[in-house]
Amino acid sequence: MNDHSQWADTVGAYLLGALEPDEAERFEAHLADCPVCRRDVEDLRVAADALPVSVPLIRPPAALKDRIMSVVNEEAELLAAAGRRADEAGERPPAEDRSRAVGRRRRSGGRSLGGWLLRPGVALACALVLLVAGGAAGVLLSRGDDTRTVIAQTRAPDADVRLEIHEDGSMLVAENMPAPPSGRIYQVWLKRPGKDPEPTSVLWSTRGDGSAEVAVPGSLEGVEAVLVTDEPPGGSEEPTKPPVITAETA
Amino acid sequence: MQLVRRGEAAAFELIYERHAQAAFSLAYRMAGSRGVAEDVVQEAFLSIWRSGARYERARGSVRTWVLGIVHHRAIDALRRSFVHERRRASDEGIDETLETGERTDVEAARHEEAATVRAALGHLPSEQSQVIELAYFGGFTHTEIAEMLETPVGTIKGRMRLGLEKMRHALGAGQVSLG
Repeated sequence: MNDHSQWADTVGAYLLGALEPDEAERFEAHLADCPVCRRDVEDLRVAADALPVSVPLIRPPAALKDRIMSVVNEEAELLAAAGRRADEAGERPPAEDRSRAVGRRRRSGGRSLGGWLLRPGVALACALVLLVAGGAAGVLLSRGDDTRTVIAQTRAPDADVRLEIHEDGSMLVAENMPAPPSGRIYQVWLKRPGKDPEPTSVLWSTRGDGSAEVAVPGSLEGVEAVLVTDEPPGGSEEPTKPPVITAETA
Repeated sequence: MQLVRRGEAAAFELIYERHAQAAFSLAYRMAGSRGVAEDVVQEAFLSIWRSGARYERARGSVRTWVLGIVHHRAIDALRRSFVHERRRASDEGIDETLETGERTDVEAARHEEAATVRAALGHLPSEQSQVIELAYFGGFTHTEIAEMLETPVGTIKGRMRLGLEKMRHALGAGQVSLG
């Protein structure tokens, strides 16, 4: 039923959120096959996205933030505690390969990467990439005298990419880096000696001028290289392509 | 691990700080009630924290992403409630609306953007702005609007599309920054 004429006027209602859920699903299925409707959606999205901007600004009550942050901090602490336990458990079998373990979980019907990506904070990590790109996360990425810079190898001929390793975190800094191919996104991986690359939740693209600053999550202790591949939206559990960026930390 | 988690909470707080005002304003505009607006914003931001939704940079700015989630949550809240209980923000009065002297630079810029978008909406034929308002801010489906206005569904959908096309033209296809 992907007849374009049936859906020609639906794009407005879709963008305004005025379709019934089942109709919205059917329209999205049609979009997959209809370049005309896809173009219409992209063309008109700017108008729909502008609508919330038109409302009078009202400051939310401070108590609302307190309530939300109370839940967030509590859940962050619980996750941190769970992470410590998981890390401790993971240290017992030294031969355990985390990335392979993830693969086994997927094959045995356990939590897939999709589920892994749905862990609290992971979407925030993605959003944080943009905040970093916008220069808003200076507090998290403060530069100190202990910064070590590694020039990365890249398959993009004109790109300059470096890995800045700080005491409190690391960051990939790219210039003249091409955007990922259409329908793909860059994903950061951590490579440990003798192990398969370990996926991170960091998915990113470049700015229009080919620049990007991407926070690399976690410690680089025991990591021999930070890799970047282009992957389908949402990322992958194992690299589907050779790295476009390789930054050796040693 | 703990540091990472703390970092994520800090990142979340940064996102909240940046976008809570626009989120609350939208929720209040749609719900017409402070209590419902607070519930909507809390649900939306906790869903972001818990990653029920994922940010796709290709789909626009973080602000657009956050407001899209708030909009969906507000529609859910409106559709859960009885339609005729919905009120416009103006029904309750907005005593916390920012006065000019209280605005920060960012808020002043937002105010300018709001005026631009409102002007674009205001230039639409009334039958087009009406259906856009009812759909986007009222949370009504096109079939509900068709019944309400005693107008065929196809006509309502056509007005929505035409209205958005004219808005896009008026806004210069991106001159209003949503970043």
